[in-house]
Amino acid sequence: MALVWPIGGGKGGSGKSFLTSSLGRLAAELGKKTLMIDLDLGAANLHTLVGVPCPQKGFSDFIRKKVSRLEDTIVDTPFKNLFLISGAHDNFDIANLPYEQKIKTLRAIAKLDYDRVLLDLGAGTSFNTLDFFLISQNGIFITTPEPTSVENVYRLIRSIYFRRIRYCFNTTDFKILEGEVDRRFGDGSASKPDCMMNIISEAYPEKYRQLQNEFSAFRFQLIINQVRKHDNAALGLQICRMIEKHLGLCIEFAGNVAYDDHVHDAICQQVFFLERYPYTKTASDLRAVGRQIVQSTGKQLMFHYM
Amino acid sequence: MPKSFAQLNYYEMLDIKPDATAFEIRHAYSAALQLYQPGSLASYSLFSGDERREILSLIEKAYSTLINDQARKAYNSELVLAGELDAGMEAAPAVKKPVSIFDINHSAAIVTVLTGNEALKNKVRQSEDIHAILSQKEICGADLKKIRTELDVLIEQIAQETKVRIDHLRSIEEDHVARLPAPVFLKGFVKSYLKCLCLEPVDELGARYMDTVARMSGK
Repeated sequence: MALVWPIGGGKGGSGKSFLTSSLGRLAAELGKKTLMIDLDLGAANLHTLVGVPCPQKGFSDFIRKKVSRLEDTIVDTPFKNLFLISGAHDNFDIANLPYEQKIKTLRAIAKLDYDRVLLDLGAGTSFNTLDFFLISQNGIFITTPEPTSVENVYRLIRSIYFRRIRYCFNTTDFKILEGEVDRRFGDGSASKPDCMMNIISEAYPEKYRQLQNEFSAFRFQLIINQVRKHDNAALGLQICRMIEKHLGLCIEFAGNVAYDDHVHDAICQQVFFLERYPYTKTASDLRAVGRQIVQSTGKQLMFHYM
Repeated sequence: MPKSFAQLNYYEMLDIKPDATAFEIRHAYSAALQLYQPGSLASYSLFSGDERREILSLIEKAYSTLINDQARKAYNSELVLAGELDAGMEAAPAVKKPVSIFDINHSAAIVTVLTGNEALKNKVRQSEDIHAILSQKEICGADLKKIRTELDVLIEQIAQETKVRIDHLRSIEEDHVARLPAPVFLKGFVKSYLKCLCLEPVDELGARYMDTVARMSGK
């Protein structure tokens, strides 16, 4: 069974696809058979970043039932150990993946026979993104040191935990729970997982324990991307601290990745940044972060709640 | 059950241990201000304006309590009563002072202050050997050492009290004429040595020692 890493970050342009391609490349270099799946449905471009501009097959073939197995949509990349399921040539309605298709995809991903599977998720907090994130105990959040990006990553993290809580209850129970939270903590607190957990611990101690177990098993990591020289280097640690203190969730800081204009150049030339500019600060940051992430291991979550 | 911020105790709010020093508290306070002040990137969008104000006022309160020794003591005993803190855990450690290189104070039997020590004075008065040595016409380093051992005083203790380097003291005691410091220093060193051992009269004994050394080096 593969070790799945969803990679998300809330805001667009924070470097999710770029980091996915770099991390995939690094994992492959370290001898792990690595598959990258472009799940930024409707705005896929991972294939361009990994040097497969015109993939012959892709994810939508699996959705359109052209092929029956997800494995058959995998294409090779120019690199050893590195494979891709591309999202190029998707149909135009792929962004709104129906529920059954999503479950089918999740099951197929869980069965893939690779050492590492990286999921490049889209911006925003659509149910697709959240559910793909909840497939694994691992997960990587990416943000840049800008208020807009930080805001969205907080939102994404809350949404993911919220989605997990939501799976524990049926619609009516959840409505009652929401009402209770609003009444107790004031309007708008139903969107705060910590307030919600507070109520759950009183009303449903059994479910609370189960959720708490699961949350403490999450090995989510945070990467701060595009860090300029004058930016606060401790921001990542501070964010993790804030999340732990105020949302009651545990996220580990994986590292900073320096900003570099050469990334733009490499993408324009459609070459691998790590290969074209291996001696930049950004490249060494990527290698450090990659090494740490490749070595960390969490468990695959089963879909007992879906 | 994760506690909300208002339920944390002041130490948890500032992320410090109950035995934090004033320096650590000040440090933690400024770090917390940086995190929670409006416009801080790390807490952006996490709190509404009211929540932020509340948190900041709590931090302010935590800091002003902990930085004041009396208020902190009162708060600590409150925490101990509430069972949040073990009694005895909360005391701030004594402020560290520079430690002497020859720190032999850990052994309680050793007298720490020698100059003007009554017991030492008595010993000097009663010992016949010391009288014999002091009444000699010449006093050399070996004689000083004899007196010191007679009085049961360590050379390190003298070094610690007089602040004279221990290798100087050794060369004085061993009569290493070549290694002795310049006479102008030596005079002072020997005087403080004598004073340290409560030998009287310091000036006269010192002069006698200096004469002896002058004669030895002249040989």
